[in-house]
Amino acid sequence: MPPTNPRKFSRLSPSPRFSVARRRFLQTSAAAVSGIVLSNCARNLSNNTAPSAETSPTADGTTATDSKTLHVFSWANYTDDELLKNFKDQTGISVVVDTFDSNETMLAKMQAGGGRAYSIIFPSDYMVEQMIELNMLMPLDRSRLKGIDGLMPKWQNPVYDANNAHSVPAVWGTTGLIFDPQRVQEKVRGWDYVWNNVDSLSRRLTMINDVREVFGATLQYLGYSLNSTKPAEIEEAYNKLLEIKPAIAAFMTNGWEDQLASGDLQISMAYSQDAIVLMEESPNLQYIVPESGSSLWTDTMVIPKSAPNPDAAYEWINFMLEPENSAKLVERLKFATPNEAAFNRLSPEVKNNENLFPPQAILDKCEGIAPVPQDIADLYDRFWTQLTST
Amino acid sequence: MSQTVVQDRDAAQTDTKLDVELRKVFKVFNGETAVRGIDLTIRQGEFFSILGPSGCGKTTTLRLIAGFEKPTGGEVLIRGKSMVNVPPYQRPVNTVFQSYALFNHMTVWDNVAFGLRLKKCSKSELQERVGAALQLVKMEAFARRFPAQLSGGQQQRVALARALVNRPTVVLLDEPLGALDLKLRKEMQVELSNLHQELGVTFVMVTHDQEEALSLSDRIAVMNGGRIEQIGSPSEIYEHPQTPFVADFIGDTNLFQGRVGSIYGSTLQVITPKGLEILVKSQQAWADLPSQSKDVVVSVRPEKIHIGASESGESINCYEGTLKHVMYLGTHVHCVVELRSGDSLTVLQPNQSHRLPELHSVVQVYWSAADCLALPV
Amino acid sequence: MATTPLAESSAASGWQRRLANLIQPIVLLLPSGLWLTLLLVAPTLLILELSLIPGFRLGQPAGSYGLGNYLEVFQPVYLQVIGRSLGFAVGTTIVCLLLGFPVAYWIAIKAPKHWRNLLLVGFVLPLWTSSLLRAYAWITILRPSGLLNTVLELFGLPGQSWLNRSPAVLIGLTYSFLPYMVLILYASLEKLDRRLLEAAADLGATPQQSFWKITVPQTLPGIAAGGLLVFIASLGDFVVPELLGGASSMTVSRLIYNQFLGATRNWGLGSSFSMLLILAVSIAIALLLKYGDRSAARS
Repeated sequence: MPPTNPRKFSRLSPSPRFSVARRRFLQTSAAAVSGIVLSNCARNLSNNTAPSAETSPTADGTTATDSKTLHVFSWANYTDDELLKNFKDQTGISVVVDTFDSNETMLAKMQAGGGRAYSIIFPSDYMVEQMIELNMLMPLDRSRLKGIDGLMPKWQNPVYDANNAHSVPAVWGTTGLIFDPQRVQEKVRGWDYVWNNVDSLSRRLTMINDVREVFGATLQYLGYSLNSTKPAEIEEAYNKLLEIKPAIAAFMTNGWEDQLASGDLQISMAYSQDAIVLMEESPNLQYIVPESGSSLWTDTMVIPKSAPNPDAAYEWINFMLEPENSAKLVERLKFATPNEAAFNRLSPEVKNNENLFPPQAILDKCEGIAPVPQDIADLYDRFWTQLTST
Repeated sequence: MSQTVVQDRDAAQTDTKLDVELRKVFKVFNGETAVRGIDLTIRQGEFFSILGPSGCGKTTTLRLIAGFEKPTGGEVLIRGKSMVNVPPYQRPVNTVFQSYALFNHMTVWDNVAFGLRLKKCSKSELQERVGAALQLVKMEAFARRFPAQLSGGQQQRVALARALVNRPTVVLLDEPLGALDLKLRKEMQVELSNLHQELGVTFVMVTHDQEEALSLSDRIAVMNGGRIEQIGSPSEIYEHPQTPFVADFIGDTNLFQGRVGSIYGSTLQVITPKGLEILVKSQQAWADLPSQSKDVVVSVRPEKIHIGASESGESINCYEGTLKHVMYLGTHVHCVVELRSGDSLTVLQPNQSHRLPELHSVVQVYWSAADCLALPV
Repeated sequence: MATTPLAESSAASGWQRRLANLIQPIVLLLPSGLWLTLLLVAPTLLILELSLIPGFRLGQPAGSYGLGNYLEVFQPVYLQVIGRSLGFAVGTTIVCLLLGFPVAYWIAIKAPKHWRNLLLVGFVLPLWTSSLLRAYAWITILRPSGLLNTVLELFGLPGQSWLNRSPAVLIGLTYSFLPYMVLILYASLEKLDRRLLEAAADLGATPQQSFWKITVPQTLPGIAAGGLLVFIASLGDFVVPELLGGASSMTVSRLIYNQFLGATRNWGLGSSFSMLLILAVSIAIALLLKYGDRSAARS
């Protein structure tokens, strides 16, 4: 199978469920819409070739007792058929992948007891922290993990999960701006451009449909921490955002791609993962991490306490950590790996892709989104409601 | 039947003013001709009925007058004015519909006031006229009710009031009593007749009920197959039907196909294929006297036939037969007699059963030559 | 369930019949009763309970009961959201009515009889596609370089910029729910007794007067039912405001979604919004039933 190019699908069906998406929180409107119920997201990614695809678990864990089947709950496009086939060849374990489109949807499903089939989940950084707090994750037995030491130093001891006691980082990325350099007024280096060109942007800017990403970027632009918990700073960010409200067409995580290509939009705030996939198809586009910094996100692999098949889960994590497998997957699916051993095996073309692996100077300014106390979360939410309803 | 279109000579001759006039009116629906060239004149103040079996085109004729249908050919005039391009809402007629068509979202009062309100009638006049109309039909106590809360007869009265309150030139009634039960129908017939006399407005009524038409109307038009068979007063229609259809449709009758044998003055001799010889004497000069060898139909009303034991002594129109069937109808007795010729004859006798022969006995039936008619075919 | 005289005179003994009379309703009503209890009553009661626990969050110890969640609803920012949702719903209802009535009228009364079903099917056809796809189709049409502006330019007309603003939401919602309005109005208009129109004309009403004095009042139950359905559906709609509404697209349904599945996960507040939405819809339905009863009594 050639490198997956989900843009081809998105042409046919704009539903972002097919696009390589880095999704958090409420994600793309459309995906969120499709998942309005505690979405079972039982769309099997490897729906045509995975041997056990037909036995996709939806809600209960009735099919999970089979030790030769592993149920994985993941973001879209973190796995592909080839990976699943290799895994089966090597371990004899069939894999069924179900996808979710937001951490919260995943959490709600797990909490409601609808995810008992899954032995592997791919939560994002802050969600790992939350799930640890909720006592939902199995502590990992390091003696059973091979290759965990091959991770980049930055991910050896992440803030969201000390020493990776419960999680293994799998994919990371940044949040930035994507645009066509031919269509903007001046060189875009960061958020400055937006605040200085509100008139010419006039509803031709999209921002990610996520309160923390939008407020985080603004807080960083104002010189504060992306994870600010100071009400005054958050209110200042809100007022700052009001200034560019006339420039904002919509808050959308996905779905802006066609309009950006046609020039109906000038700039879109996007996850690096989405931007990179789009630029494969439209090389005229450019992705930047704003000068003021951005969020740095990590998606991990965890084993929930309810996992029916932890042995297979360990097999899976070890398989994913294996540098050769990992490198091949990254070459195919084009995401940033935190696995140094795998990184070293990548082709120079991928290795030097600054969008995938930004230079250290930029990374230094990036912060991971960390959970905030509940009252601050409520404050963010109220400002978000205000921002999106005025 | 290749008879000429019936001319309403009677009306045309008189000097009385005409309210409705139909001139050679045709109506074709999707290739089906419902009305085939009707000529009709209705006088002012007349109670005129259009009578015929279902599908004869009588309702279509009424709808042509009301304006719900446009004639395919010919012309409708009301008070001498052509109605060709006048929509229903501008015609000086009001209709009482077969199903009443009351507005069920309005009270009785609002139903009756509907037409006056559209005419921007002053409030006081409206109050007065609606009140009077409701009083006329004895419904003033029900003014605040909705149609669904009324009985069929009450709805009928409201429908009448709703039409009459507008003081139309002509009131059109489409089977107005068709939905009522027999007793109520009889009552309403009387009231309709009274109303008509009281108001002096022209009534045009469509009905399939001959009794209703005969009892209420000044004149009747009998329709069949989209044509008018005969126009005349009830007695004319009954006593002197001009076509076999009219004779058959109005009341009961016995019909004999035959051919004119010989003619003696005003008396015809008709011979049927089965060999009966019937003498017919006309009381009036034959309009167009059937000539010799012409095919005719002889009509004898059952009540004009006498029935008796053998040897009654009559010589003309007297035949022997067997009494096949007797049915008591209260005031009358209905008998069926099978003649020697094989013809079956219906006889209606006053209830004087002591005079009636026994069932299956041989009887003689006879009628006067003046009591039967020879109708051209 | 009335026993027929036949059943009463039948040879079946009394207790058998009584048993049958007892079992039959249970057998008939049980499936739907269970269904309703499990999927409608129980969740609603659950939401009601959650709404009475201020700041309830899954996975955290529940606080004591109180009306805090309902009081929070009255914050200006939430009132604004509620107002916006109501505005969209009312607007959509009016536009659907204005557009739907002539169409339904034409199909039910003017169009040739043998065409009617075909026309209706044609009108309902869009319902067979995903609402998501329809919303995306409108993006394609309304975006600045989209179909609509291309056509407008062709005729030398100034381009519009409705996408990501309220007009696009109204267009999208109307498009989504117009078929329902047309179907219901059609059913209502088709039942309209034409003789009433003839009677009105006979009494001197011009076609226009007949329309307002007869057709509209006669189809009022249909208008109310259609309007209510569109109102409820557009009040709860999530897809269209989200995809077409742009940066100011927050609606009540989205707000509820955010409270349940968003970052704050304030299920208590979300539940109170849900209850208010249920209440609003229930009131609307109650009004319809009351009105419907009255009109039923009259006909």
